[in-house]
Amino acid sequence: MTTIRDRTAIVGVGASRFSKAPTDTPMRLAAQAFKSALADGGVDRNEVDGLVINIGWPLGVDYDRFAEALGLRIRFADQSWTHGRFVGPTLQHAAMAVATGLARCVACVCGVSFIQERGLLGGPGDFEGTREEGGTHEENPVYGLTAPAAGAALAVQRYFALYGATSAELGAVPIAFRKHAALNPAAIMRSPLTLEDHQSSRFVVEPLHLFDCCLVSDGAAVVLVTTADRARDTAKKPVFIAGMQGMRAGPDEFLFAVPGLGIGQQREFRYTPTEEQLSVYRMARVTQKDVDALYTYDAFSPLVWFVLERFGFCGLGEAAAWTQKGRIELGGELPMNTSGGLLSEAHVSGWNSIVEIVRQLRGECGERQVRGARVMQWATAWGDSTIFHS
Amino acid sequence: MTAYGKPLPRITPDNRPFWDAARCHRLALQRCADCARFRYPPAPVCPACLSDRAEWAAVSGQGAVSTFVVFHQRYFPSFAADIPYNVVQVELDEGPRLTANLIDVPNAEISIGMRVEVIFDDVTSEISLPRFRRAAT
Repeated sequence: MTTIRDRTAIVGVGASRFSKAPTDTPMRLAAQAFKSALADGGVDRNEVDGLVINIGWPLGVDYDRFAEALGLRIRFADQSWTHGRFVGPTLQHAAMAVATGLARCVACVCGVSFIQERGLLGGPGDFEGTREEGGTHEENPVYGLTAPAAGAALAVQRYFALYGATSAELGAVPIAFRKHAALNPAAIMRSPLTLEDHQSSRFVVEPLHLFDCCLVSDGAAVVLVTTADRARDTAKKPVFIAGMQGMRAGPDEFLFAVPGLGIGQQREFRYTPTEEQLSVYRMARVTQKDVDALYTYDAFSPLVWFVLERFGFCGLGEAAAWTQKGRIELGGELPMNTSGGLLSEAHVSGWNSIVEIVRQLRGECGERQVRGARVMQWATAWGDSTIFHS
Repeated sequence: MTAYGKPLPRITPDNRPFWDAARCHRLALQRCADCARFRYPPAPVCPACLSDRAEWAAVSGQGAVSTFVVFHQRYFPSFAADIPYNVVQVELDEGPRLTANLIDVPNAEISIGMRVEVIFDDVTSEISLPRFRRAAT
């Protein structure tokens, strides 16, 4: 069987300024990020012949408008359903397009304004919640269940009951990521967060407190993926894509839970990861112990617990205790989301974390640098993963 | 009677029998005519055996809370007066889980595993919503 291992690499990354107030259109932010990614990698605009996007209209920039606005001649374009969860699959499509010769250099573009479209986030404009037989986070507006936060709240409430975990333990997640953001000049939320702050913050959808929920922000990030051969000639140290596995779906799954938790119609069973569940490690020829830092889609803090259990960093029901005492902080056993993530850096739909992985593996992160970083992993509560190495 | 201002279900050919039964204050679910498995939400084939054959069968309306949340943030203006309001998922004794509200129970007393039973709320002349209350002991 052919493998995609080490056949593609990220050669350039760029980002706009991140903000909690509307500054520019998503297109302007995305154009800035794109130009900075070109400059970062020493890549010419005319080399970019692929374009992939996961957050398009009405939150972000669509592929057709971006190609037109930036004068790109694209021969491989792909755009998913407008959802953050597709960040990993979108990056994987870029790598697959490059590895199969459908494109030579693919720009992964995310320019997004959550602020100007705030009414879409769980409000009456959130038409996804009206999907026949329910939304993807269990939305059911008939009963007032209307926001993505509710999906994470339903899952963690059951998790609390099954394993005796608490909201105070969950607080370790946003507190860790806030510490990372404090070391990141680009992060929006940099002031210290205490457990008392977390516990006394208002409930959004109980049991989730305000600080369990990601930022609502504007920003853009761009990642350039090309062949490993081309990458070796570019300006910066290439970051190779060593392994991938796809997003999961089906009767064992609920988007915002570890398999088998029993949310919505999700089958209930005791999950233990099999080799098939974790094929990303086999492809990348590493194990969890080789991962110098783990990055995940932290739209809501329970997702951090669920990804740790899904990928076998700890056992089922153990993540609450496992994430205490600085274990997921810089300097801990497994630093996670070292830029501050969606909870404290910005909500660029996860692409800010992909940019962070690349900068970390190049050794560009200054005060928050993970020393000696060689292998880093992107993985989500819904099961996709990509492993990178320098 | 003031107009009902909250979202209403979208009735489709697939789910119409569910809402027709609810209108008559009966809870009915699809049951595979081949493997007898109940399923929800309504779907054209059985997810277990892919059979096209199904019937709408009355279910007990009895179950247990499998998880729940309490909304504190206002997302829909039409729910503003209800805040803080609960939403529960109920695992019916027949297997499928329904999302609904639990009535007549203070939010602080809701717990996972609590036994509940269905009631029907006639919110419009066309639509009766299944909700749940604590089961009679």
